[in-house]
Amino acid sequence: MATRHLILGGGTAGLNAITTIREFDRGASEITLVSHERPYSRMVLPYYLGRSIMEPHVFTASPARLDALSVIPVFGRKAVRLDASAQLVKLDDDTELPYDDLLIATGSSAVRPPIPGADGRAIENLWTLEQCRNVLAAIRPGTEVTQIGAGFIAFTILNSLLSLGATLTILEVAPRILPRMIDDKGAAIVQSWLERQGVAIQTGVEVEAIEDVGGRKRIRLANKPPVDADQIIMATGIRPNLAWLEGSGLVIRQGVVVDDHLRSNVANVYAAGDVAEGRDLVGGEAAVHAIEPTAMEHGRIVGANMAGQDRAYRGSLLMNIVDVKDLEIASFGKWDAAGAETFEVLDSSRPAYRKLLWNGDRLQGAVILGMAKDIWTTNDVGMLKGLVQTGADLGAWKPYLKANPWDVKRAYVACQTAGRLLPETVVGHPSIPAPLVLAVAQA
Amino acid sequence: MKVLQITPSRCTGCMRCELACSYEQTGMFQPSLSVIRVSPFEAHTSYSPYTCFQCAEGWCMTACPVEAITISPVGAKVVEHDRCVGCKLCTIACPYGTVFYNADTHKAFKCDLCGGAPACAQACPTAAIEYVEAETADWQGPFAAERGRPLVTPLAAAGV
Repeated sequence: MATRHLILGGGTAGLNAITTIREFDRGASEITLVSHERPYSRMVLPYYLGRSIMEPHVFTASPARLDALSVIPVFGRKAVRLDASAQLVKLDDDTELPYDDLLIATGSSAVRPPIPGADGRAIENLWTLEQCRNVLAAIRPGTEVTQIGAGFIAFTILNSLLSLGATLTILEVAPRILPRMIDDKGAAIVQSWLERQGVAIQTGVEVEAIEDVGGRKRIRLANKPPVDADQIIMATGIRPNLAWLEGSGLVIRQGVVVDDHLRSNVANVYAAGDVAEGRDLVGGEAAVHAIEPTAMEHGRIVGANMAGQDRAYRGSLLMNIVDVKDLEIASFGKWDAAGAETFEVLDSSRPAYRKLLWNGDRLQGAVILGMAKDIWTTNDVGMLKGLVQTGADLGAWKPYLKANPWDVKRAYVACQTAGRLLPETVVGHPSIPAPLVLAVAQA
Repeated sequence: MKVLQITPSRCTGCMRCELACSYEQTGMFQPSLSVIRVSPFEAHTSYSPYTCFQCAEGWCMTACPVEAITISPVGAKVVEHDRCVGCKLCTIACPYGTVFYNADTHKAFKCDLCGGAPACAQACPTAAIEYVEAETADWQGPFAAERGRPLVTPLAAAGV
């Protein structure tokens, strides 16, 4: 009997697992995909919000595509219970789906602070497609928008909100913006840049309540005057969708604990993406990396293993890039390693900032910030990722970089980094573009 | 598959490849829009072009959340202009630093081998860039390591 793969979640991890299973088994197994929403890419929602793409562009798994991949879709449903000993999953309509192996890739949901008025009118998380539609309908040129939260995800929508003509205020509880992406110096540059663009920013402020006053919203702050707005965007964090797994027997810490093959402690149950606590590439420690690149790599590794391969995952590299009005901001790896030897260079007039963090002669993390016209003349961004990814020993080129931190390319090439990278693959063979998976496999 | 084979010792730093590439890709002679970039690898006289290796792993391709990067008939990883939204995941996924972002068009751009007639190889007067049947390799690494030695030995000797 063909293996029955059950995939919970149609996001990046789930869909990459499906295409990778098909890369190896050419359609020989049964795949069922359960997804609450019709699958789309959350990563590209900001571009739909900013009206640079149309809604159909966000969808990732058309019926024709799923048919070509021989996937049985079960959409509009959520998993509510896992019976691991019986090897079945119960859905919210009481359907029971048996499996031979199971992938939990149920992603995250956006959260709101537990304050009075948090669920009132004109307040949206910008997490789902439906919420984006609501916000698009609510914003006109001149609409006063307050965004609560200044994290990476929140920043991916700033350009879109400004292009819609919103007048924007950002409130952040941490002492700096982008607290989990860049350091104080970088945050100061970004904040200064945004303020020059007419964005009002307050950091270190705590929202106590949200009220409706005269058809608008009033945000009450601790020890500060209130802020009024027409529309509020909640960008106060995400949590992995794990509550439904209580009592399932799975070991869960920050996420479902998985080994280097993305197996959980329960036989035939895998986890990938935001719900999985896997391994950090640089430090080797257990980590949840709720970012798109990790979900993609997890999906490919777990798909290979579910298809009978034996692929160990080296670990995921934390990496993020976002731009706000042409100021590019990126960070990699252990960009905030406490006590690490660091090289920093700052030119606040351009503005430009970069910080390299070392573990001996190996680059363990980096922060890089600069105007798009400067960053894209060299793409040190990719090279820094390559240096952190390979963990190359820079040897004599480390003092060179200390003296010349703008000259990453010379050190990168002279350390023969490309030579180290070229043999590296994630699933063990050259990549096949996802749309061609079945065509190539059946050739 | 034919690839751009680069022989750094032949490069004179003339930059014709950058002009040819940007003109072929954008209609403008503008080196900042070229996807092949020439750099010196010691003080002034050792140059090499550097561009996408068309690697087997295709980090850019697998990174794209909307499958905007695919493989062309000549085997190059190509950004589909209409599909790309400009999220820049590919630019940080590529560990070679050869995927770029155009802040005016809001699209990623990279070497697509000009559909099989690479302009840089045609323009190169010394055959430092050749479009030949070969296994892609770290063309510049050993050259840069050797030629760059005078830049680093004094630092190491000084115990910096």
